[in-house]
Amino acid sequence: MKRVVSVSLGSSLRDHRVRVNLLGEEFEISRQGTDGDIDRALALLEELDGSVDAIGLGGIDVYLYAGKTRYTVKDGLRLLEAVKKTPVVDGSGLKDTLERQTVYYLREHSNLIPPGSRVLMVSAVDRFGMAEAFVELDCDVTYGDLIFTAGIPYPIKTLAELEEIARKTLPEMVKLPFHMLYPTGKKQDTRDDVKVKKFGYYYREAQVLAGDFHLVKRYMPDDLSGQTVITNTTTQDDIAFLRQCGAGTLVTTTPELEGRSFGTNVMEAVLVAITGKGWQDITAGEYLKLLELLDFRPRIVELN
Amino acid sequence: MATHQEITDSLKAFAEGYNSNKRLQTMNRDWNRVIQVLTTDIESAHTLELKDGELRFWEGAADKPDLTVLADSETLADMFYGDITPTEPYMNGTLKIMGSEDDIVRLDFISLLIWGE
Repeated sequence: MKRVVSVSLGSSLRDHRVRVNLLGEEFEISRQGTDGDIDRALALLEELDGSVDAIGLGGIDVYLYAGKTRYTVKDGLRLLEAVKKTPVVDGSGLKDTLERQTVYYLREHSNLIPPGSRVLMVSAVDRFGMAEAFVELDCDVTYGDLIFTAGIPYPIKTLAELEEIARKTLPEMVKLPFHMLYPTGKKQDTRDDVKVKKFGYYYREAQVLAGDFHLVKRYMPDDLSGQTVITNTTTQDDIAFLRQCGAGTLVTTTPELEGRSFGTNVMEAVLVAITGKGWQDITAGEYLKLLELLDFRPRIVELN
Repeated sequence: MATHQEITDSLKAFAEGYNSNKRLQTMNRDWNRVIQVLTTDIESAHTLELKDGELRFWEGAADKPDLTVLADSETLADMFYGDITPTEPYMNGTLKIMGSEDDIVRLDFISLLIWGE
């Protein structure tokens, strides 16, 4: 049996363990949250290194992208470099293929994102592939990177402006402690009421809400009107929360395994374990082929 | 070591950089804050006020600042002139910013956007 573990900076309340059969092989997939404690995450990574088949880093990005430029998050790199023997991934390789494909899939197989759809991406630099796919499919996209990360009520409306702002700010911002840029630990279990009140307008105006679930959830107002949410990691409680807030449909880019969808870091770690290769050696084409073999499709859940 | 006058001049350049940037003014229309700038090595205090998207500054301390920026005179002058970014001195403790974490991140973004333009 292969063992894949996701070490997350997120809340331990979301810890989970499943056993699944993938392409004829048994997998034990688990997620271990460290409640925002980076030292605890480092210790856990060192403990797991060499004793499991692949490790995913959750609740943190190592790499952010805007256009062709890659920015390395300092805290994420610390975690990545703590693992010496076992293949370790942050999900960014899979995001670029799987999440892009999810948008194309929804256009082809559903009426959830017709041309001209108003899409709010709560953050795009962590999902640039998805951001590009929405634009390719003629959606009216608002990138909320400045709104939700910096509290600056400035909707970015083009990929060119997103890249330009990223070029000026990200080389420095990635050096800050990650918790200043993204909700980690207990913050993942709470909403930011001040920002919900201030920026809820952007959610209400959109037809589609897309991006990292912890960000989507943290700023979500109670009075949605049937919006589609395209995201990754969700639990049964998250689904209940979305229903309560009035979201119409949930789409998760990663498949459901025993009632919940795991993060892209977990699924990428699974794919790495299947191939037995290092992540640097796996091409986007190989990821796509594996996803097809595994018959991984987006999960669509009608909520209201 | 920089002089009080050099810090004043650097803040003038910072405020001019900000006020000549319409996009930054639009971005900060909602953010009314008083920011106090204090030095650790010389007698010097300045106050920046962001109000309705406009930035002005004056010499002297503030009564009720929302944020306090504290560093040695050289770091402050270099930072407000855009010769160095605030991240590095903030991370190594040379620069201290007292205020809410949200405000600190926002101030960091503004500084980066002024000198990156």
